[in-house]
Amino acid sequence: MGVVSAIGNSVAENHEALKAATCGIQYKLDLFPSKYAGILPFGQVHISNEDLLKTLQVTDLGVTRTSLLALYALNQALADSGISTETIQSFDTALIGANTVGGMCLTDELYNDANQKTDGSDYLGSYDCASVNLFLQKHFKINGIINTINTACSSSANAIMYGAMLMNNGYAKRAIVGGTDSLAKFTINGFNALHILSNEICTPFDEGRKGLNLGEGAAWLILEKEEDIKGRKVYAELTGYCNTNDAYHPSSLSDEGDGPYLSMQGALKLANLTADKIDFINAHGTGTENNDQVESRAMIRLFETPPAFASTKGSIGHTLGAAGAIEAVYSILSLVHQEVYPNLHFNNPITAAGLTPVTTYKKMPVNHVMSNSFGFGGNCSSLIFSKA
Amino acid sequence: MLYIHQTYCISPQQDLLQDDIERINEVDDKKLLSIEPSYEKIPPGILRRMGKSIRMGVGAALPLMAESNAIDGIIMGSANAGMDDCVKFLNQIVQYEEGQLTPGSFVQSTGNVIAGQLALISKNKGYNITHIHLGLAFENALLDAMMQLNTNPSNAYLVGGVDEISPFHYNIETLAGSYKKEDISNKNLYGSDTEGCIVGEGAATFMVNGSADGAIANVKAISTLHSTDKDLVKQQLNLFLQKNLPVGSTVDLFLSGENGDKRTLPFYEANETLLADDTSIVRYKHMTGDFATASALGLWYACQFAKTQQIPTQMFKKKASKTIYHNILLYNNFKGLQHSFILVSNF
Repeated sequence: MGVVSAIGNSVAENHEALKAATCGIQYKLDLFPSKYAGILPFGQVHISNEDLLKTLQVTDLGVTRTSLLALYALNQALADSGISTETIQSFDTALIGANTVGGMCLTDELYNDANQKTDGSDYLGSYDCASVNLFLQKHFKINGIINTINTACSSSANAIMYGAMLMNNGYAKRAIVGGTDSLAKFTINGFNALHILSNEICTPFDEGRKGLNLGEGAAWLILEKEEDIKGRKVYAELTGYCNTNDAYHPSSLSDEGDGPYLSMQGALKLANLTADKIDFINAHGTGTENNDQVESRAMIRLFETPPAFASTKGSIGHTLGAAGAIEAVYSILSLVHQEVYPNLHFNNPITAAGLTPVTTYKKMPVNHVMSNSFGFGGNCSSLIFSKA
Repeated sequence: MLYIHQTYCISPQQDLLQDDIERINEVDDKKLLSIEPSYEKIPPGILRRMGKSIRMGVGAALPLMAESNAIDGIIMGSANAGMDDCVKFLNQIVQYEEGQLTPGSFVQSTGNVIAGQLALISKNKGYNITHIHLGLAFENALLDAMMQLNTNPSNAYLVGGVDEISPFHYNIETLAGSYKKEDISNKNLYGSDTEGCIVGEGAATFMVNGSADGAIANVKAISTLHSTDKDLVKQQLNLFLQKNLPVGSTVDLFLSGENGDKRTLPFYEANETLLADDTSIVRYKHMTGDFATASALGLWYACQFAKTQQIPTQMFKKKASKTIYHNILLYNNFKGLQHSFILVSNF
């Protein structure tokens, strides 16, 4: 596993910060000029583009922050797994990555190129979301199946699913799966125009929540089949997954939460688990009025009395296309260390739901964790990770 | 096993089943623009707000969904769906200096907007995904459907590929040197010997399930590769054919994605050396133009040929004596980097 987020540049740093209830969201944005810098809080990763380029020894022109964050986290995951260069380049190693911003972090360059105000910048091939995985393909000389998925904020949960499906169907022996997204003027203004950005630090599942904070980051996981592990380190088993659509509205969830309900139910079915076996839910919990209310409703519908749950969006913000992968890493840390991490900034339960998330770090037996990701376009995905 | 039961296509050309199949519509200001239907199945209020790729994708899917029983999911491939709205919103950000903006274009700018709209309009709560991996976006959608059907053979899915010539994307690709600089007719595409393709657009959709009963064609295998080495691509195609062609049979028809770009031609020529003497070679990009998901239109042509066994004369690069098209091989190359092989049969 590898991860970079506003609370740390490695799995170990993220783990310590989760345990210490560190909030990485700050009134700081210095990646590009924006009128919202210093006014809205963001979960910015604490490495500049210059340092990323230097650390990663990337000299190619036209590489975006989205791609650099991806490479930064992927290097960690590859080193952690001990996977050889030869294996990375094997025809049966797949790379499935998700993102929603791509090169859109370069708002001004894209504006100039798309409106032909220049002779063309270095970034002409970097704007679309596929550019991230094409960069990684070139960097590592990957020969197996490569794919980029965009289901908005559930994108990287689906990348994990797709990797697992490729392995189950014999198209890959191992799959490198994950997601990345960087802060962008584009998404900041987009979510702001929808009036779902909070001008305060976000408070998931709190009655007084005012909206989400945007974050950035990347995470990758390496999936292998049980029979190929041969005594090597295993963090967890991916036992369930399901992708559904709420089919209600382009940018909000239905009152009854059919999409979230069905994705959680489908993941349980695939994992062959009853609802009471889930020890912890890593909730989508963005901190918006709509998401947290509906997710609570769907959890109550499925579980009656939901298990312990929390959202980490109060720690790192909403990292969009990276969220599903980063939260998969956090879910797995819960399984490995038999502990759960707090939902920060929570004060009062949502009146209509009456649910209180985990608010302090605590040790507890964790055998099965469900991780939810929901996105625009009605896309809902749930994953279940189980103790290895 | 994936069986295709129904198809729908929006392209720069007429439907092959109608009219004069030898007629070719020509470029308009260097672009092959799609001929759009009236979109009767899209509610007018929604249609007005849709960008072109969104209405082509939704418009190509709804007729098939209307004819089918409930389907189990919607699987789309699109490299740039939403791109036009994306830059529209971006222009607002720059012009209004991040002022009070309307979110309409932002919501329509996400890559998953077509599959999302289809779920919304059809109230389909099943599997819903959008593959956006540029020149392999449609191939991954097709592979996804194959895997879904392998796991759930009694299910049915809507699979589609769509992209548009959006003004902003056209500008970026023009700066990047993707298109031919000279004015040429698409009728002379393959003799051009210059760099670049003629840009096109369109949408093709397929209703697929695991049952051979009443099917038009069967997608037997698909394989994708990233490489700039034509020898490696040829070697992989050879392996693909060894693994997937039934023993004793040959490719009857090679449906080539040749696009008139002299930079990608060597890949097509290398692959053609693997074909038997009695394999016919047919091309379609002089009709569709080239774009990231043009291979979806390629599969649509393959389905028509599998069904009717009729191929317009003007599409042949090489006409072999054999006139029964049982095994159809599609090879596509996007920008000399992304390659796909698809084997289709009419079983």
